[in-house]
Amino acid sequence: MDLIQYLPILIFLGIALGLSGLFVFLPMGVARLTGAHNPHADKLSEYECGFPAFEDPRSQFDVRFYLIAILFIVFDLEAAFLFPWAVSLDLTGWPGWITMMVFLFELTVGLAYAWKKGALEWE
Amino acid sequence: MIQAIAFYLFATLVLASGVLTIVARNPVHSVLWLILAFFNGAGLMLLVGAEFLAFLLIIVYVGAVAVLFLFVVMMLNIDFAELRAGFVKNFPLGIAIALVLLAELVLGVGAYRAGALDLGTADGMAAPLAGESNIENIGALLYGRYLFLFESAGIILLVAMVGAIVLTHRGTRSPRGQQNIARQIARKPSEATVNTKPEIGQGVEL
Repeated sequence: MDLIQYLPILIFLGIALGLSGLFVFLPMGVARLTGAHNPHADKLSEYECGFPAFEDPRSQFDVRFYLIAILFIVFDLEAAFLFPWAVSLDLTGWPGWITMMVFLFELTVGLAYAWKKGALEWE
Repeated sequence: MIQAIAFYLFATLVLASGVLTIVARNPVHSVLWLILAFFNGAGLMLLVGAEFLAFLLIIVYVGAVAVLFLFVVMMLNIDFAELRAGFVKNFPLGIAIALVLLAELVLGVGAYRAGALDLGTADGMAAPLAGESNIENIGALLYGRYLFLFESAGIILLVAMVGAIVLTHRGTRSPRGQQNIARQIARKPSEATVNTKPEIGQGVEL
Protein backbone atom coordinates (compact mmCIF):
# COMPACT_ATOMS: atom_id res chain seq x y z
CA MET A 1 0.00 0.00 0.00
CA ASP A 2 0.96 3.54 -0.57
CA LEU A 3 1.61 5.52 2.59
CA ILE A 4 1.79 8.74 0.59
CA GLN A 5 -2.02 8.69 0.50
CA TYR A 6 -2.01 9.45 4.20
CA LEU A 7 0.30 12.43 3.90
CA PRO A 8 -2.59 14.98 3.79
CA ILE A 9 -3.97 13.51 7.02
CA LEU A 10 -0.55 13.88 8.63
CA ILE A 11 -0.35 17.48 7.44
CA PHE A 12 -3.84 18.16 8.79
CA LEU A 13 -2.74 16.61 12.08
CA GLY A 14 0.23 18.94 12.26
CA ILE A 15 -1.91 21.99 11.47
CA ALA A 16 -4.50 20.95 14.05
CA LEU A 17 -1.81 20.47 16.69
CA GLY A 18 -0.29 23.83 15.90
CA LEU A 19 -3.61 25.65 15.93
CA SER A 20 -4.83 24.08 19.14
CA GLY A 21 -1.52 24.81 20.84
CA LEU A 22 -1.74 28.39 19.62
CA PHE A 23 -5.29 28.83 20.92
CA VAL A 24 -4.28 27.55 24.33
CA PHE A 25 -0.92 29.22 24.85
CA LEU A 26 -1.24 32.48 22.93
CA PRO A 27 -3.86 34.05 25.26
CA MET A 28 -1.89 32.87 28.27
CA GLY A 29 1.32 34.39 26.92
CA VAL A 30 -0.36 37.64 25.93
CA ALA A 31 -1.99 37.90 29.36
CA ARG A 32 1.35 37.44 31.07
CA LEU A 33 3.16 39.92 28.84
CA THR A 34 0.56 42.65 29.04
CA GLY A 35 0.28 42.41 32.81
CA ALA A 36 -3.31 41.18 32.89
CA HIS A 37 -2.15 37.99 34.58
CA ASN A 38 -3.25 38.55 38.13
CA PRO A 39 -4.64 35.35 39.70
CA HIS A 40 -6.71 35.53 42.82
CA ALA A 41 -8.61 32.83 44.67
CA ASP A 42 -11.81 34.87 44.68
CA LYS A 43 -11.83 35.07 40.89
CA LEU A 44 -12.35 31.33 40.71
CA SER A 45 -14.88 30.98 43.55
CA GLU A 46 -18.63 31.24 43.06
CA TYR A 47 -20.27 34.62 43.38
CA GLU A 48 -23.18 34.74 45.84
CA CYS A 49 -25.59 31.97 44.76
CA GLY A 50 -23.70 30.96 41.59
CA PHE A 51 -22.49 27.51 40.72
CA PRO A 52 -19.09 26.31 41.93
CA ALA A 53 -16.63 26.95 39.12
CA PHE A 54 -14.65 23.77 39.68
CA GLU A 55 -15.77 20.39 40.87
CA ASP A 56 -15.07 16.72 40.32
CA PRO A 57 -15.70 15.82 36.66
CA ARG A 58 -17.10 12.50 37.80
CA SER A 59 -20.80 12.56 38.40
CA GLN A 60 -22.90 9.49 38.86
CA PHE A 61 -25.53 8.67 36.29
CA ASP A 62 -27.92 5.93 35.43
CA VAL A 63 -26.69 2.42 34.70
CA ARG A 64 -29.02 2.28 31.71
CA PHE A 65 -26.57 4.37 29.70
CA TYR A 66 -24.11 1.51 30.15
CA LEU A 67 -26.54 -1.00 28.68
CA ILE A 68 -27.10 1.23 25.67
CA ALA A 69 -23.32 1.59 25.23
CA ILE A 70 -22.79 -2.20 25.38
CA LEU A 71 -25.49 -2.79 22.79
CA PHE A 72 -23.93 -0.07 20.66
CA ILE A 73 -20.50 -1.75 20.80
CA VAL A 74 -21.95 -5.11 19.75
CA PHE A 75 -23.69 -3.71 16.71
CA ASP A 76 -20.77 -1.41 15.95
CA LEU A 77 -18.57 -4.50 15.72
CA GLU A 78 -21.15 -6.25 13.58
CA ALA A 79 -21.05 -3.34 11.13
CA ALA A 80 -17.25 -3.32 11.22
CA PHE A 81 -17.15 -7.03 10.35
CA LEU A 82 -19.40 -6.39 7.36
CA PHE A 83 -16.83 -4.21 5.57
CA PRO A 84 -14.10 -6.82 4.89
CA TRP A 85 -16.80 -9.37 4.13
CA ALA A 86 -18.37 -7.14 1.50
CA VAL A 87 -15.16 -6.39 -0.38
CA SER A 88 -13.79 -9.95 -0.31
CA LEU A 89 -16.91 -11.85 -1.32
CA ASP A 90 -15.40 -12.65 -4.74
CA LEU A 91 -12.54 -14.44 -2.95
CA THR A 92 -14.53 -16.29 -0.28
CA GLY A 93 -17.61 -17.20 -2.28
CA TRP A 94 -20.56 -19.08 -0.82
CA PRO A 95 -18.84 -20.28 2.40
CA GLY A 96 -18.04 -16.68 3.25
CA TRP A 97 -21.59 -15.59 2.48
CA ILE A 98 -23.15 -18.32 4.61
CA THR A 99 -20.71 -17.55 7.45
CA MET A 100 -21.80 -13.96 7.55
CA MET A 101 -25.47 -14.91 7.39
CA VAL A 102 -25.00 -17.22 10.40
CA PHE A 103 -23.16 -14.42 12.21
CA LEU A 104 -25.95 -11.96 11.44
CA PHE A 105 -28.49 -14.53 12.63
CA GLU A 106 -26.64 -14.91 15.94
CA LEU A 107 -26.75 -11.19 16.53
CA THR A 108 -30.34 -10.98 15.38
CA VAL A 109 -31.19 -13.52 18.09
CA GLY A 110 -29.48 -11.17 20.53
CA LEU A 111 -31.44 -8.22 19.17
CA ALA A 112 -34.70 -10.12 19.49
CA TYR A 113 -33.79 -11.01 23.08
CA ALA A 114 -32.97 -7.38 23.89
CA TRP A 115 -36.21 -6.24 22.32
CA LYS A 116 -38.29 -8.86 24.10
CA LYS A 117 -36.69 -7.99 27.44
CA GLY A 118 -37.49 -4.34 26.91
CA ALA A 119 -33.81 -3.35 26.98
CA LEU A 120 -34.36 -1.02 24.05
CA GLU A 121 -37.05 0.88 25.94
CA TRP A 122 -35.82 3.85 27.89
CA GLU A 123 -38.61 4.01 30.44
CA MET B 1 12.04 10.01 6.04
CA ILE B 2 8.55 11.26 6.86
CA GLN B 3 7.66 7.69 7.80
CA ALA B 4 10.51 7.52 10.28
CA ILE B 5 9.58 10.87 11.81
CA ALA B 6 5.93 9.82 12.04
CA PHE B 7 6.91 6.51 13.61
CA TYR B 8 9.02 8.11 16.31
CA LEU B 9 6.34 10.74 16.95
CA PHE B 10 3.57 8.15 17.33
CA ALA B 11 5.74 5.74 19.33
CA THR B 12 6.85 8.45 21.75
CA LEU B 13 3.31 9.73 22.17
CA VAL B 14 1.83 6.26 22.69
CA LEU B 15 4.40 5.50 25.39
CA ALA B 16 3.97 8.88 27.05
CA SER B 17 0.19 8.75 27.06
CA GLY B 18 0.30 5.15 28.30
CA VAL B 19 2.45 6.21 31.26
CA LEU B 20 0.19 9.21 31.91
CA THR B 21 -2.84 6.89 31.85
CA ILE B 22 -1.34 5.05 34.79
CA VAL B 23 -0.05 7.96 36.80
CA ALA B 24 -2.89 10.46 36.25
CA ARG B 25 -4.52 11.27 39.57
CA ASN B 26 -7.97 11.81 38.12
CA PRO B 27 -9.55 8.68 36.56
CA VAL B 28 -11.34 10.77 33.93
CA HIS B 29 -7.98 12.16 32.84
CA SER B 30 -6.70 8.57 32.69
CA VAL B 31 -9.40 7.67 30.20
CA LEU B 32 -8.61 10.73 28.09
CA TRP B 33 -4.92 9.79 28.02
CA LEU B 34 -5.95 6.27 27.03
CA ILE B 35 -7.90 7.72 24.09
CA LEU B 36 -4.76 9.60 23.00
CA ALA B 37 -2.82 6.32 23.27
CA PHE B 38 -5.44 4.63 21.04
CA PHE B 39 -5.09 7.34 18.40
CA ASN B 40 -1.31 7.01 18.36
CA GLY B 41 -1.59 3.22 18.23
CA ALA B 42 -3.81 3.66 15.18
CA GLY B 43 -1.11 5.82 13.63
CA LEU B 44 1.49 3.10 14.25
CA MET B 45 -0.77 0.45 12.71
CA LEU B 46 -1.21 2.66 9.67
CA LEU B 47 2.56 2.89 9.32
CA VAL B 48 3.00 -0.90 9.28
CA GLY B 49 0.26 -1.24 6.68
CA ALA B 50 -2.64 -2.51 8.80
CA GLU B 51 -5.08 0.09 7.53
CA PHE B 52 -8.29 -1.69 8.44
CA LEU B 53 -7.13 -2.41 11.99
CA ALA B 54 -6.07 1.20 12.40
CA PHE B 55 -9.50 2.50 11.49
CA LEU B 56 -11.19 -0.20 13.52
CA LEU B 57 -9.12 0.92 16.49
CA ILE B 58 -10.41 4.45 16.10
CA ILE B 59 -14.03 3.52 15.35
CA VAL B 60 -14.48 0.75 17.90
CA TYR B 61 -11.99 1.56 20.66
CA VAL B 62 -12.09 5.34 20.65
CA GLY B 63 -15.71 5.57 19.57
CA ALA B 64 -17.21 2.93 21.79
CA VAL B 65 -14.88 1.21 24.25
CA ALA B 66 -13.33 4.41 25.62
CA VAL B 67 -16.80 5.85 26.09
CA LEU B 68 -17.72 2.69 27.97
CA PHE B 69 -14.64 3.12 30.17
CA LEU B 70 -15.73 6.68 30.84
CA PHE B 71 -19.18 5.41 31.81
CA VAL B 72 -17.67 2.90 34.21
CA VAL B 73 -15.45 5.57 35.78
CA MET B 74 -18.46 7.86 36.10
CA MET B 75 -20.75 5.23 37.52
CA LEU B 76 -18.48 3.93 40.23
CA ASN B 77 -18.98 5.85 43.41
CA ILE B 78 -15.50 5.26 44.72
CA ASP B 79 -13.27 7.67 46.52
CA PHE B 80 -10.16 7.23 44.41
CA ALA B 81 -7.91 9.01 46.89
CA GLU B 82 -8.93 6.45 49.48
CA LEU B 83 -8.34 3.67 46.97
CA ARG B 84 -4.86 4.92 46.27
CA ALA B 85 -4.04 4.92 49.97
CA GLY B 86 -3.88 1.10 49.83
CA PHE B 87 -0.99 1.17 47.36
CA VAL B 88 1.52 -0.57 49.61
CA LYS B 89 -1.02 -3.12 50.77
CA ASN B 90 -2.03 -4.04 47.20
CA PHE B 91 1.50 -3.90 45.84
CA PRO B 92 2.10 -7.72 45.76
CA LEU B 93 -1.20 -8.32 43.98
CA GLY B 94 -0.40 -5.61 41.45
CA ILE B 95 3.00 -7.13 40.77
CA ALA B 96 1.41 -10.58 40.32
CA ILE B 97 -1.09 -9.26 37.77
CA ALA B 98 1.70 -7.38 35.97
CA LEU B 99 3.73 -10.60 35.78
CA VAL B 100 0.77 -12.50 34.32
CA LEU B 101 0.33 -9.79 31.69
CA LEU B 102 4.05 -9.87 30.92
CA ALA B 103 3.90 -13.67 30.51
CA GLU B 104 0.98 -13.25 28.11
CA LEU B 105 2.93 -10.70 26.09
CA VAL B 106 5.96 -12.99 25.91
CA LEU B 107 3.78 -15.93 24.89
CA GLY B 108 2.08 -13.78 22.28
CA VAL B 109 5.40 -12.75 20.73
CA GLY B 110 6.55 -16.37 20.91
CA ALA B 111 3.43 -17.57 19.12
CA TYR B 112 3.99 -14.93 16.47
CA ARG B 113 7.52 -16.19 15.97
CA ALA B 114 6.43 -19.84 15.85
CA GLY B 115 3.99 -19.52 12.98
CA ALA B 116 3.54 -16.13 11.48
CA LEU B 117 0.11 -15.37 10.08
CA ASP B 118 0.17 -14.71 6.39
CA LEU B 119 -2.50 -12.51 4.99
CA GLY B 120 -3.52 -13.77 1.62
CA THR B 121 -5.74 -16.26 -0.10
CA ALA B 122 -8.52 -18.05 1.67
CA ASP B 123 -6.31 -20.88 2.94
CA GLY B 124 -4.00 -18.36 4.58
CA MET B 125 -0.87 -20.02 3.30
CA ALA B 126 0.04 -17.67 0.51
CA ALA B 127 1.66 -14.28 0.57
CA PRO B 128 -0.55 -11.19 0.59
CA LEU B 129 -2.58 -10.81 -2.54
CA ALA B 130 -0.78 -8.44 -4.82
CA GLY B 131 -2.76 -5.43 -5.89
CA GLU B 132 -5.48 -6.04 -3.33
CA SER B 133 -6.12 -3.74 -0.43
CA ASN B 134 -5.46 -4.61 3.18
CA ILE B 135 -9.18 -4.91 3.93
CA GLU B 136 -9.66 -7.43 1.12
CA ASN B 137 -6.79 -9.55 2.42
CA ILE B 138 -8.28 -9.55 5.90
CA GLY B 139 -11.70 -10.46 4.53
CA ALA B 140 -10.33 -13.32 2.47
CA LEU B 141 -8.62 -14.79 5.51
CA LEU B 142 -11.28 -14.08 8.12
CA TYR B 143 -14.18 -15.51 6.10
CA GLY B 144 -12.10 -18.29 4.57
CA ARG B 145 -9.63 -19.98 6.84
CA TYR B 146 -10.65 -18.49 10.19
CA LEU B 147 -14.37 -18.90 9.59
CA PHE B 148 -15.06 -20.82 12.80
CA LEU B 149 -13.11 -18.34 14.90
CA PHE B 150 -15.26 -15.63 13.37
CA GLU B 151 -18.45 -17.52 14.24
CA SER B 152 -17.26 -18.04 17.81
CA ALA B 153 -16.60 -14.29 17.97
CA GLY B 154 -20.25 -13.87 17.05
CA ILE B 155 -21.27 -16.21 19.88
CA ILE B 156 -19.09 -14.24 22.29
CA LEU B 157 -20.77 -11.01 21.20
CA LEU B 158 -24.17 -12.63 21.75
CA VAL B 159 -23.17 -13.77 25.24
CA ALA B 160 -21.83 -10.29 26.03
CA MET B 161 -25.09 -8.76 24.93
CA VAL B 162 -27.24 -11.17 26.93
CA GLY B 163 -24.95 -10.75 29.95
CA ALA B 164 -25.18 -6.97 29.81
CA ILE B 165 -28.97 -7.14 29.61
CA VAL B 166 -29.22 -9.63 32.48
CA LEU B 167 -26.85 -7.62 34.68
CA THR B 168 -28.05 -4.08 34.09
CA HIS B 169 -31.63 -4.27 32.88
CA ARG B 170 -34.07 -3.62 35.69
CA GLY B 171 -37.30 -4.24 33.88
CA THR B 172 -39.92 -1.74 32.87
CA ARG B 173 -41.63 -0.83 36.10
CA SER B 174 -42.53 2.65 35.17
CA PRO B 175 -44.95 4.73 37.20
CA ARG B 176 -46.06 6.35 33.98
CA GLY B 177 -46.98 3.06 32.34
CA GLN B 178 -46.41 2.02 28.77
CA GLN B 179 -47.97 3.37 25.65
CA ASN B 180 -49.78 0.71 23.67
CA ILE B 181 -50.22 2.28 20.27
CA ALA B 182 -52.28 -0.60 18.84
CA ARG B 183 -54.79 -0.25 21.68
CA GLN B 184 -54.97 3.48 21.20
CA ILE B 185 -55.69 3.14 17.51
CA ALA B 186 -58.24 0.35 18.02
CA ARG B 187 -60.22 2.47 20.47
CA LYS B 188 -63.66 3.48 19.16
CA PRO B 189 -65.83 6.39 20.37
CA SER B 190 -68.75 4.03 20.92
CA GLU B 191 -66.74 2.01 23.46
CA ALA B 192 -65.11 4.96 25.13
CA THR B 193 -68.10 7.23 25.80
CA VAL B 194 -71.63 6.62 27.05
CA ASN B 195 -74.52 9.00 26.67
CA THR B 196 -76.79 9.13 29.70
CA LYS B 197 -79.85 11.23 30.54
CA PRO B 198 -80.09 11.35 34.30
CA GLU B 199 -83.31 12.54 35.94
CA ILE B 200 -83.14 15.81 37.78
CA GLY B 201 -82.03 15.20 41.34
CA GLN B 202 -80.77 11.70 40.54
CA GLY B 203 -77.14 10.74 40.37
CA VAL B 204 -75.36 8.87 37.63
CA GLU B 205 -74.45 5.20 38.04
CA LEU B 206 -70.86 4.66 37.00
